[in-house]
Amino acid sequence: MSSDALKTARGQWGSRFGFLMAMIGAMVGVGNIWRFPYVAGENGGGAFILAYLLILFVIAAPGLIAEVALGRYTEKGVIGAFRDVVGPGGLVGLGVVVLLVNVALMSYYSPLVGWTLYYAAHSFLFTFTSAAFRPEPFLDGFLANPALTIAMHTIVMALVAGVLLFGIREGVERVVVVAVPALVLSLAAITVRAVTLPGADEGLAFTFGVRWEFLTFSSTWIAALGQALFSTGLGWGIALTVGSYLRKYDDVPLGGGIFTAIGESSVAVLAAFAIFPIVFAYGLAPDTGATLAFVTLPQVFSEMAAGWIWAILFFVGFFLAAFTSAIVITEVAVTTVSEETRLSRRQTVLAVCGLIWLLGLPSALSADVLDFADFVFGNWGLPLATLCIIGVIGWKLGPERLRVLSVNQNAGVYVGRWWNGVVKYVVPAIMLFIMAYFAYDSFGDPRMIAGMVVLVSFPLAGYAVMRYLEGGEEPGPSGKAAGGDD
Amino acid sequence: MPLSADVWAMMLFVVVSFWGVAGWALVRTMRQEDRKVELLESQRELDTYSPKALDDLREWIEAHPDDPYAADAREKYNECVETLRTTDRHFYGWSDERIARLEKL
Repeated sequence: MSSDALKTARGQWGSRFGFLMAMIGAMVGVGNIWRFPYVAGENGGGAFILAYLLILFVIAAPGLIAEVALGRYTEKGVIGAFRDVVGPGGLVGLGVVVLLVNVALMSYYSPLVGWTLYYAAHSFLFTFTSAAFRPEPFLDGFLANPALTIAMHTIVMALVAGVLLFGIREGVERVVVVAVPALVLSLAAITVRAVTLPGADEGLAFTFGVRWEFLTFSSTWIAALGQALFSTGLGWGIALTVGSYLRKYDDVPLGGGIFTAIGESSVAVLAAFAIFPIVFAYGLAPDTGATLAFVTLPQVFSEMAAGWIWAILFFVGFFLAAFTSAIVITEVAVTTVSEETRLSRRQTVLAVCGLIWLLGLPSALSADVLDFADFVFGNWGLPLATLCIIGVIGWKLGPERLRVLSVNQNAGVYVGRWWNGVVKYVVPAIMLFIMAYFAYDSFGDPRMIAGMVVLVSFPLAGYAVMRYLEGGEEPGPSGKAAGGDD
Repeated sequence: MPLSADVWAMMLFVVVSFWGVAGWALVRTMRQEDRKVELLESQRELDTYSPKALDDLREWIEAHPDDPYAADAREKYNECVETLRTTDRHFYGWSDERIARLEKL
């Protein structure tokens, strides 16, 4: 809504489109581009996509609706929202867990965004189409140069801070309304070229060929669950924070739930159309994981007509996908810290970005550290944050309360009572299953042990800090929820 | 290698179920936004619940009169009823008969 009369003292999105692009920009990350097409192809192609789509509608969209609705209802960041629900005291520490996980996530994500920035910059120097270009030595040379990796990490955090200093409307919104459509256009342009390459059919058949028997494999459903939940960023505090800046008459379920879940996955689908035809047309290996973008793909640009254009489009798009996520993930901590301390927004942005920069140095210096942190927080830290947020909504606030008070208020689509069971039982059960599955799958591995340390120490630390700061008070007027029973 | 019919079918299904649904949601929510802005500019207030959602809210208030959130829920309910009574044009599909039957809580 554009009416100035509807503004409040707290920042708000300037437009509906700005909110929607912030959600998509946050959720679309590097994983959408290199991971989805490969995971789909490895797990039955079309069969995987059907399972994935079902999970998006049944679990991810309802979960996102809950998270955005809590943010809209409380109009606070993660710690303030938790305090409103559970009352002052140690349990507010669950909000601290979400905050810590976000800071940890950004600490290794920022160096990775730095990789994409380095490649985007080199695409403008026509490096990838020069005769002397060799992809593996190029990547190895970059990673072996600490001055370069730290410089990229520093530039990324400086850019993130620069955007966040301008606030929600003038900073985040202005970037995402341009960056997200630019990312989609980049991928669309590459798609047009990719699907017309000789041999592109094989890539399309790999990703979209239907192998129905895969629907009977548990591994297909586990892969679809993991992709859907991690890709949509459910329960990471992002949707809660973005939702806290919604305006009074804004809808939650249609934009914050359905559009976000399906829209961000649509970018992954577009990436499948864009990338895998190229991979197969040039006889490359599709199973190279993250190195697909940094080693495998760069070697084909020199062989393509006007390859420099495709290199620029691909790496700029790749950078935008990563950078918009970095902005909004960092905003989670900035919103919360500025609300919980006496720091101004400017001071908070500098403090949070400075801390993330400092914590990110080990990951900038070593790709092994980055991989370790990604494994630990991806498998246990992020599901723990999801469990905290969805657990508080499902078992303390109560989904029915949230549904009648916030979800269906000004809603673009009506959400029925079926939603309560999904939020209260299904999402928490799935998150517990995923954490247990990953622990079983990597039992005894140092990364699994580190994950268990995170699972135990983060909630304990959060509880202890908030109990100390808030004196272990019983729920007062702000902590109204008597229980999660509906 | 020509693509098989099932690959074509799946690609079509994917385009419709992902880009089609996302596009539908985007267009629908942006149109709803335009309608809300138009109503707010002409009458400054907007009905905040659909008939079904307001029924749910009333049922919940009546089932949980002493709930810590009941006062907030009543406020939201009464605000919507008041707006429906004092405005001529509504965002949701409210009939005059249905509005006439509404009572504040």
